[in-house]
Order: sequence, then structure tokens, then C-alpha cells
Amino acid sequence: MIILTIIFMALATYSTRIGGYLILSRYPVSRRVARMMEVAPGCILISVLAPDFASGRVADLLALGVTMLAALRFSLFYTVLIGIGSAWLLRAWVPV
Amino acid sequence: MVMSVNTCADDAPPGAASEFWRAVRTSFPVAMSFIPFGLVLGAQARMQHLSSWQVPVMTGLNFGGGSEFAAIGLWTSPPHILLIVSVTFLINSRHLLMGAVFAPYLNKLSRFKALVCLFFMCDEAWALSLSDCKKRGFSLPYYTGVAGMLYFNWVLSTFAGALLGPVLGDVTRYGFDMAFPAVFFVLLKGMWKGLLFSGLPWVVSLAVAITAYLYLPKGWYVPCGALAGLTLAWWQARA
Repeated sequence: MIILTIIFMALATYSTRIGGYLILSRYPVSRRVARMMEVAPGCILISVLAPDFASGRVADLLALGVTMLAALRFSLFYTVLIGIGSAWLLRAWVPV
Repeated sequence: MVMSVNTCADDAPPGAASEFWRAVRTSFPVAMSFIPFGLVLGAQARMQHLSSWQVPVMTGLNFGGGSEFAAIGLWTSPPHILLIVSVTFLINSRHLLMGAVFAPYLNKLSRFKALVCLFFMCDEAWALSLSDCKKRGFSLPYYTGVAGMLYFNWVLSTFAGALLGPVLGDVTRYGFDMAFPAVFFVLLKGMWKGLLFSGLPWVVSLAVAITAYLYLPKGWYVPCGALAGLTLAWWQARA
């Protein structure tokens, strides 16, 4: 049963990966659709982060803010380090 | 982000090996950021009664971290197949658009090779190779390097998490979970095209996604948030 679930999960995921390529690439793309596709990745990525913003913990929200500012200023490596460090420290210092 | 600057003096296209290693260097920090997630996912999966070998089978066949975290969160014994598979599909539905954006670059490959490439198209592999495509065009050795690095890091770190899980305890206590938003913020910065063009749709997406996360069943927040931002973009592009 576990393996069956895993196989169907994998099929669902693979269908999303090939669906856009197989279906959407056959049709001409209008200006509006092109604009939507340009904005889409950012909209999707930020939506994936919703649970992090909705945790309701002050320490987490502050750490997200610090990490966001770090991303504006630093490369990926340092942003990740600052993110992890700020979350660790803020969770230790901010009780809620 | 570590970008290589060893441009060739002559006009010859860079060799496959150098493209591959350029990809390995570029994707290195992202691949490293997978490790804490992999450890957490593997450890959580063990607590939900998956065996240590079933964890890398799942992460190796599915290869989508967000959907795997959600699936493990919903896991019961026996698992509710329909629920888990539809949540997996919803969370990964963003790949439909990502694949469509990527399609023009893959058209130079044979259909078979493109379908193999797409199996490994996770968010980060897509973002890293798309930004490279825009500068230099699609390079198969580069994509192989990026996707390979990310894939093996993910599968191996989830396997390690499954083996070490019972010993590790709660990894989120040390803030490692903040690596995930950190990676996304940097990716978003690379996609920024102005306050009205990108900023507004993103804020709308985030607000709707948070609301959906709080009030709708698990798994709906990604399509709801994305759809809200896309609707705004569609309206903004009115002629």
C-alpha cells in the first residue's frame, strides 16, 4: 500500500512536469498568457512560502524579515546562513 | 550566487565537461541547502512508519520536496492514496506552468531526452537552468550538472535522515528550516521586474495563499495563491 501510494505520487508529479511541455508548447502564446507565464514562477514560489508566514510565531516572522533583507543584499550562501542563524537566535530570545 | 567567469578566449563553444562543472559549482550552495530539509523529511517519514528504504524510493521517484513534506504530514497507516496523490498533484501543479515556460528551450532536444530532463525539473533546477538559458541558451551538460547535483543530494540526504532520524530529534529547533525561505527569497530577487510587474502580483499571491492556508483544506494554498497573482497579471496586461 505504501509503495502503491508512492508510485501514484510519482506519476502525479511527473504528469505536472511533462504536461506544460507536451500540451502548452503546441499552442501559440498570446501576449496576456506570456505576461502571466512571466509572473507565474514568482507567484507560485511565494505561495509555497505561505505556511512559513502563517505560523503566527513572532520569532519566525522576524526571522523571515531578516532573511528577506539578507536576500536583497547577499548571495545565496550567506542568505541561507543568515536565515538559519537569525531563526535559531530569535527563537531562543523571542518567547512567542 | 557563485557564477563562473572563466570565459573562453576563442569563440569555440564551451566543452561538455566544463559546462557540467560550471553547473556543479553554481548549484553547490542550493544543493547544500537541501541537506537539512532532506534530514528533516527522512526523520519525519520514519516517524510515520515508512521504512528507511522506502524514503529514498519516494524521494527518488517523486523528487518534489514540498509535496513530500505534505504527503508525510498527511500519512496514515494505511495511507489515504487519493488524498495524498491529489495533494501531491496540487502542490506540484506549478510545474505545469514551469514546464511551459521551459518548453521553448527544450525544443532543441529530442522528445525522449526532453521527457527525461523534465523528470528532474524541481523548482531550483528549473530556476537555475532557466536563468542560464536566458543568458546562453539551453545546455544539456549544464542542466545535467544542476539537476544531477540537486537530485542526488536530495535522495541521499533524505535517506540519511531516514537512517539517522530516530537519533536526530527536532531539527527545526536550530533554525535549519529557514534555509527553505532563504533559497526562495534569493530566487525571487532574481525574478524581480519592478513593483507593478512583479511586486504587486506576488503580494496578492502571498496574501491569498496565507488566507487559503489558514481556512482551506491542506494543499489548496499553492494553486489559490498562484491563481490570484496570475489573475491580477492577466488583468494588468489588458490591451
